[in-house]
Amino acid sequence: MPPPSPRLKLCSVFRTYRINDQKLNALQDISLSAEAGTVTALLGRSGCGKSTLLNLAGAMDFPSSGEVLIEGRSTSSLNEADLTALRRTRIGFVFQFFQLLPTLTVLENVELPLLLSGAANAAQTARDRLQWVGLEDRATSLPHQLSGGQMQRVAVARALVQSPDILIADEPTGNLDTGSGDLVLNLISRSAREFGAAVLMATHSAEAASIAQVRVRMRDGRIEDIERSRN
Amino acid sequence: MRSLISLFRTLIVRPLKRDRLRTALTVASMALGVAVVIAIDLAGDAAVGSFQSSLTTIVGKTDLEIVANGGVDEQWVGRLAQLPLNAHFAPGLERQAEIQGSGFVTVYAADFVAEAAGNISSSAAGPADWEHAVVVSETVANRLHIQKDSAITVQGHAFRVLDIAPAKTEFVALDIAAAQRLFNDYKKLDRIDVFLTAHEDITRAERSIRAALPAGFEVNRPGTRSDENQRMLRAFRWNLRVLSYISLVVGAFLIYNTISVSVVRRRPEIGILRALGVSRFGVFWLFLAEALLIGIAGSALGIAVGRLMASGIVVLIAQTINSLYTSSRPSEIALTGESVAVAMTAGTLVAFLSAAGPARAAMRVAPTEAMGRGSRETAVRLQYRRNLILAAALAIAGFAASTLKPVDGKPIFGYAAALLAIGAGALAAPALVLGVVRSLRPLLRKAFGAEGLLAGRSLTASLGRTSVVVAALATAIAMMASVGIMVGSFRETVMVWLDTQLRADIYIRAAGPAGAGQYPALPPQTSCLIAAVKGVAAVDTFHGFEFRYQGQRAILGAGNMEIVKQYGGLRFLSGDSNTILSSLPNHDRAIVSEPFANKHDVRVGEQLALNLGERQVHVTVAGIYYEYSSERGYVVLDRSTLLKYLPGQPATNIAVYVEPGAESGAVQRRIQNATAGLPILVAPNQLLRREGVRIFDRTFAITYALEGVAIIVAMLGAANALLALVLDRRRELGLLRYLGAASLQLRRMILVEAALLGLLSNILGLVLGLALSFLLIFVINKQSFGWTIQFHPPYGLLAAALSLVWFVTVLAGIYPARVAARLNPIEVIHEE
Repeated sequence: MPPPSPRLKLCSVFRTYRINDQKLNALQDISLSAEAGTVTALLGRSGCGKSTLLNLAGAMDFPSSGEVLIEGRSTSSLNEADLTALRRTRIGFVFQFFQLLPTLTVLENVELPLLLSGAANAAQTARDRLQWVGLEDRATSLPHQLSGGQMQRVAVARALVQSPDILIADEPTGNLDTGSGDLVLNLISRSAREFGAAVLMATHSAEAASIAQVRVRMRDGRIEDIERSRN
Repeated sequence: MRSLISLFRTLIVRPLKRDRLRTALTVASMALGVAVVIAIDLAGDAAVGSFQSSLTTIVGKTDLEIVANGGVDEQWVGRLAQLPLNAHFAPGLERQAEIQGSGFVTVYAADFVAEAAGNISSSAAGPADWEHAVVVSETVANRLHIQKDSAITVQGHAFRVLDIAPAKTEFVALDIAAAQRLFNDYKKLDRIDVFLTAHEDITRAERSIRAALPAGFEVNRPGTRSDENQRMLRAFRWNLRVLSYISLVVGAFLIYNTISVSVVRRRPEIGILRALGVSRFGVFWLFLAEALLIGIAGSALGIAVGRLMASGIVVLIAQTINSLYTSSRPSEIALTGESVAVAMTAGTLVAFLSAAGPARAAMRVAPTEAMGRGSRETAVRLQYRRNLILAAALAIAGFAASTLKPVDGKPIFGYAAALLAIGAGALAAPALVLGVVRSLRPLLRKAFGAEGLLAGRSLTASLGRTSVVVAALATAIAMMASVGIMVGSFRETVMVWLDTQLRADIYIRAAGPAGAGQYPALPPQTSCLIAAVKGVAAVDTFHGFEFRYQGQRAILGAGNMEIVKQYGGLRFLSGDSNTILSSLPNHDRAIVSEPFANKHDVRVGEQLALNLGERQVHVTVAGIYYEYSSERGYVVLDRSTLLKYLPGQPATNIAVYVEPGAESGAVQRRIQNATAGLPILVAPNQLLRREGVRIFDRTFAITYALEGVAIIVAMLGAANALLALVLDRRRELGLLRYLGAASLQLRRMILVEAALLGLLSNILGLVLGLALSFLLIFVINKQSFGWTIQFHPPYGLLAAALSLVWFVTVLAGIYPARVAARLNPIEVIHEE
């Protein structure tokens, strides 16, 4: 049986920035793939290129050379409308600082991606996701009324509300205590299993990395090592 | 101090430079506000600046001036000359005369023969044929390209230019005898000028002259007429000035907003600075200095723009003064140090005061504090109920102020009430924003999806800022709406009045420029010639002239009350029109116009002491009638009464009523034929009405222009505020891109916000505008000008204006929307 085709594939990706006529190689020759139902952890020090890689994987940025393929389509070949559609329906984001909109209720925050794409039954789907992260009773609360852990669970619910193919998580537990972090990691792990998402997670934490089937160590914009496990 | 300057440079100047567009918008708003203030001031000064008689350039400065209502008999020149005084008495006459090929010019007549005899030094004096000589001002000479000894035709008579007077105003001067011959106006003079020698004591001379003159004469010091004119124009200029400050008030809201944004954005920096040892007052002055910088830059720019604007509006103001008050010739616009200082002070002070609140908020930031927008906005949300109660208190205080009487003829409390109403509106803005946006939420979401949801939430989340913008825009809209309602109501009232007042079919007056206070005499035979024309049913001969009453000028008129009763349509405030009019002929009774009654606090049944010629006559007020053509007011007698006291008083206007069935056009032609060769103007009823409406519209053109500027300032503010909202919410906007929002959706969201801002401002502006229109119509106008205006809002015009403002507010959101759509989401999301 042939191996399942990867949800996300990076082929010889380079990302170079120019700052004051100085060339900065943020990523160099990165080749990586993420399959459905797996968690891939990106490990490395600050500035090693993890966030740059996540932006490329989330179709928020484009490689200077090489290709980022999402569902087999190169992001560089897509126009603005296609990229927006891709982000709306295929990709979910979880950030270190939760990034909930303070003016919207918990339910509205979760509902937002669906509203932006004009999906039907937005409220019901959002409620289902809230239930999934165990916060259905906080639907009408405002973000500032929640704890950090709860906010991040809402962010996970929002990222999963479209049942995305790819879930991008940038230091999802970086701003949480251990207990809350464990809860969030559990949700991320479950999202891969239950929604079949290919999770790409940047982290400094060994605990976070432990939920990953693939651990990619990065250094100075390059992949230093890829470790696969069976958990 | 040096450290503060350095902090000012890094914390204030650098961000101002970085946000160039926002800075430019704020400075532009301020500049426009200041520009309007200085433009109105300069143009107003220029429009009324030439009251000083230009004759002084030829005959020198008079020491005293003798005047009488209805003119001074020329025999008094000789009689006064008998007084044991070291003085010279010179006759004076002022008329409008037609210069061939050049239109009408003011003609001054003086006793050049006496001057030439050497009594008084004069540049123009010299041996000459004064019967056929004139002196023209430099401006007339330049315009007509004439020089000394050129020929000039005045009122159909040939003259020679004897000299050219170095004066900036247009006039022609000629000898009194020649003038009397020219105007067929013997015996009566406008005044007698008194010139005292250096040894004569002016108080003694004044006392002696007064003692020699009859009770009806007045002896005035020079400048009295100019002072009277200034006093007469006080209410007009006051109201114009107040209107000109509206843009500055709107600008004040925007400065407040800009400094608030500046403080909110820099709270973390303020916290750090405080932790590093910068004092509270250091922080306070930092932000005040930002406002001052904007104020000074805006004022400087505003002065330059205002000077340009003044050139455009001086003619409009002068025309209004000419139509409604007195003849004036605009002088040159003079940008004096005083006007510059006033404008700079006004602009800087407004900036200073409007920034004091936000600067105080900055001062209160604790050293450990580095809060974001949320905490301040939460505070505003919590305060909205308290603000609403305060708004109600201000509204009640405003209502109470509106019931108080004017101070020295100025509606001070009316203006105070308007300011209190604006304050109440501003304080009610947060509650309105919350109430309206909350109730619109379901609709917004349904109509605009996520964009509608986010737009509504964003506005209530930034309640403090949203409220300031809504208050600023609403103030501008309210002023526009209130002035629109006032002018619309006034126009409708005047139209109705014209319909009832102008009942005659044909009107006749002496040829010459039309203007307030100008009643040139008709040739004596006119009335008889017209009465004999076939088809004429009745001829009402009117005698009008400017007169002084209690130190103010008004118009004294006399007509045939029997004809007015039979044909006319005078409407009285109270009493039966027929009974009132019947009581006038052959009695010392008068009717007065409403503005006269209000200005002089006159009531029906009271007696007026009128100086008529040499006598003082006491007339009883029989009725007060509605009148809208003169703010100075009329006292009207029956002809029989006037001619009893002023037998030679010439007729100035004639109203002709045609016989039933007669065609008024044909009658007019017959009148023109019968009076051919006479210097008169014959106009049909419709022409007069049209002219009335034209003058009315021209009078208020400047008002509309001022409102327009206030709206533009508010629009700049709306664009500025939306831009600030966008820049402040960069992270949120970036996040939306991560969540799949298309750039078009971000644009739509900002435009929905702009539309909501416009809607909220329109709602508040309309309510506030209605309140202000009541104040304008029933308090400020009534107290300033004495007119009763019926309330007739121009609904169609209002709806169109409000829609336009709303549309322009949406347009103001286009640039901020573009900025929002172009933000780099990766950059803004990782700023943290």
